[in-house]
Amino acid sequence: MLAMVHSATLVGVQGQPISVEVHVSTGLPSFTIVGLPDASCRESRDRVRAAILSSGLKWPQKRVTVNLAPTSVRKGGSGLDLPIAIALLAADGQLPAPACSGRAFIGELGLDGSLRRVPGVLPLVDSLRRPEVVLPPPCAAEVGLLGGTRARCAATLGTVVQALIGARPWDDPPRLAPPPADPARPDLADVRGQPLGRLAVEVAAAGGHHLLMVGPPGAGKTMLAERLVGLLPDLTAAEAVEVARIHSAAGLPVPAGVLSRRPPFRAPHHSASPVSLVGGGGVQMRPGELSCAHRGVLFLDELGEFPADVLDVLRQPLEEGQVLVCRARASVTFPARVLLVAAMNPCPCGSEGGPGSCRCREAARSRYGARVSGPLLDRFDIRIHVDRPDVSELVGGDPAGAGGGSTGESTAVVAGRVEAARRCARRRGVAANSDIPARRLDELAPLERAATRLLETRMRQGWLSARGLHRIRRVARTIADLAGWPGPVREQDVYSALALRAPVVLGGVGAGRSGAGEWEP
Amino acid sequence: MSRAAAFAAALSGLPGMGPATLVRILAQHDPEAAWHAVRAGRIERPTGAGRRAGMGGGPAGSRPWAEVAARVDPVPWWRPFAGSGVRVTWRGQPDYPAALVHDPHPPGVLFWRGELAVLDLPAVALVGTRNATPDGRSVAFELGRDLAAAGICVVSGLALGIDGAAHRGCLQAVADGGPGAPAGVAASGVDVPYPRSHAGLWGRVVEAGVIVSETLPGRPAQAWRFPSRNRVIAGLVRMVVVVESHAAGGSLITAEAALERGVDVRVVPGPVRSPASAGSNQLLYDGPGPVRSARDVLDAMGMILPDRPGGPPPATRPGPGEGPAAAVGPLPPPSGPGRDTAVAVPPSGPGRDPQPARRGGIDHRTHRGGIDQRGPAGRPAPADPADAGVLAALGRRPATVGQIMARSGFDASTVVRCLHSLLGREAVVETAGWWSRT
Repeated sequence: MLAMVHSATLVGVQGQPISVEVHVSTGLPSFTIVGLPDASCRESRDRVRAAILSSGLKWPQKRVTVNLAPTSVRKGGSGLDLPIAIALLAADGQLPAPACSGRAFIGELGLDGSLRRVPGVLPLVDSLRRPEVVLPPPCAAEVGLLGGTRARCAATLGTVVQALIGARPWDDPPRLAPPPADPARPDLADVRGQPLGRLAVEVAAAGGHHLLMVGPPGAGKTMLAERLVGLLPDLTAAEAVEVARIHSAAGLPVPAGVLSRRPPFRAPHHSASPVSLVGGGGVQMRPGELSCAHRGVLFLDELGEFPADVLDVLRQPLEEGQVLVCRARASVTFPARVLLVAAMNPCPCGSEGGPGSCRCREAARSRYGARVSGPLLDRFDIRIHVDRPDVSELVGGDPAGAGGGSTGESTAVVAGRVEAARRCARRRGVAANSDIPARRLDELAPLERAATRLLETRMRQGWLSARGLHRIRRVARTIADLAGWPGPVREQDVYSALALRAPVVLGGVGAGRSGAGEWEP
Repeated sequence: MSRAAAFAAALSGLPGMGPATLVRILAQHDPEAAWHAVRAGRIERPTGAGRRAGMGGGPAGSRPWAEVAARVDPVPWWRPFAGSGVRVTWRGQPDYPAALVHDPHPPGVLFWRGELAVLDLPAVALVGTRNATPDGRSVAFELGRDLAAAGICVVSGLALGIDGAAHRGCLQAVADGGPGAPAGVAASGVDVPYPRSHAGLWGRVVEAGVIVSETLPGRPAQAWRFPSRNRVIAGLVRMVVVVESHAAGGSLITAEAALERGVDVRVVPGPVRSPASAGSNQLLYDGPGPVRSARDVLDAMGMILPDRPGGPPPATRPGPGEGPAAAVGPLPPPSGPGRDTAVAVPPSGPGRDPQPARRGGIDHRTHRGGIDQRGPAGRPAPADPADAGVLAALGRRPATVGQIMARSGFDASTVVRCLHSLLGREAVVETAGWWSRT
């Protein structure tokens, strides 16, 4: 006898609908799964058999064939356990066929028949477009974010079967714990001194400009990066769902019940592999940290400690906002629109005193600097030195003390300006000023005459390259937006933008890779 | 002559040929005869003898010389090098630098481009670290400039940092009509600029002076050649001035080689906490006297001292009143309408306060250009009051824009505007995002 049940498998961050067909016929008892199952999927034979027997149901002593259609798609993961079990019971006549039709099933089975959570349930359910989906309880709570689909849940295979034949009601979805009130976000007001660092994170958040901070250990680079994400505006509902789907596919905890509107913040350790950053891996092509930080901040601390090949895989996705990961069996596009924030020491010894104070050997320094390739360095619109604050800034009176030149503004105040600046950018037809195409700069971000003259002079003196010019202009536009200036970019905005583009020399000063050319007295 | 040059060059290119062996061979034969003797197997490669660490022995090939020589015809091989302006001299030739004739470890052959005769001027080596502070570079620049203006041949190693700044200073003085000249001693071939970013500097040094090297043209710089190069620097000069050196820096090798030869060594004192001065300060502590400016160097040399103590006999070295040095004459005090740069180097090491002791220097500078934005007291004030604030916040040590903002309380826009305006007036300099006063 034949039965068919709907389910879905995960390809990247997209769901792929799957029909699970089970044929039960007389013959020598056997149990085969065909249709490109991967190892984890093939293992479901043993889980399904044990779960059916543990649930007090009957295992058919017949020839059982499971086909996963379309057969051309590689299926991975354990989410097909439940649909296989249900289709098998239906084919064996233990369940009435109509009870299964019209519904989709997703879930992993334990040997005792319990239903377990699977990753990626949001994109899976989204792709199914079925009115009713039967899910393990934790997943049902996750699906509640989507709306439109009725999530049915039950704790075990036994209860699923009973509910399907109407012997008992479905379980209630687990009571959602109210989301914790916005977890104490680090506030920008905690940062003492660092006037340039504060300006840099504000401009980076407002314009979506990638930010590189170079400075000695303990200067406050991480502190600033953690506060940057707090300055970003809330995600729209559509963006929040998009982010939640990626996190769901990556198996990250998705806050139950309420869609988190806060942009994500991901800070992978520098031992990360290329695949863990951009995504890929097994059959299922898990999204990488880059995609997990989609619409949020990807923070790479100790940038110089990342292997060069790991960093170079970031280049093209940063430009395109997405990453196409290709493997022999599949190609998957992951969204990857991130604000990249990176921090590094000027050289391996982390000297802070400027030129000549470094104690590293020449070779060690140039190795360190060579990790960050020129093209990657070029992606950073904002590059600043972050120095240890002077003592007076740390201990002096109130954080808003004028002595430090610090305004001590809180995250809330700055985020307000950022929000306004982003509105200005949207009026120009871009999400953020960093997206303004070079050919439309004159139209969307015109310069006052004095500002043009200043940039011309700087270019003639060799301070700026043509590409640097475009980046400076975008940053200057953001600075004008933050100041609430609607007119053409002023000279003072360009000066501020120049302050945010220090000629950072990686691998320490003297390594022969100077931003502004060899210094001549 | 040019035929002999080709053979001398070819001899120096034999695998495992060190300077000592080459000197011995060329003392006994003329180059062409020596080459034929090598081909005939009458001169064989010494077995390990005479090759000491750092003496240019280098990694030895294993083939016998006769076999190598059989495959090379020196004259056509040398022609393209000669055509590109590379010359060669060897011990015994009239143009071989006199200072090297009695050197304990003289180079067998010396390749050169430019004007070798500039080495007959009284020569001073300015050496120091590649990873230099702005202060160090600015001191090296001024020393190079002022020594060249006083008619000194400024010898250095063409490297990044101190070396480059010294050459540039010297070149500026030459461009302004100074009687001195630059001389670069390279570890690579004279036609292979190293570091590559100094290719332009190499060209200018060749134009205004000379670049010499023991290394065969076309050969890259290799680590083992640098100590060997440093001994040539020490041998060429009357005094070695170490401007900045990290602990165990290469310039200490030059100083060591100079002391071995009885060449005077002097040190520019640096801040005791600066790692870039750790080696040079150690040297200073060990004995050699300090120099603060070109005047100290010239005083120490006397410019009346005919030749360096323990150096070659006066016959081979032009003393005052004879040879090119006569053009310089005994150094005049910095008076009169002529160039005053010979002595007007203000002490510019960090940590020194601009005190009345500097008065003389100040007069000279205002006399020279009238552009003077440095120092707080008694100087023309910067036009913009914000400029003064930024300059005050800059302090004596290099600072970043962020630090200047924090200290002055100005916003980023103002700080950068002032820095650029001060830069235009040469009151500040920038190195890789670090700003410091000139």
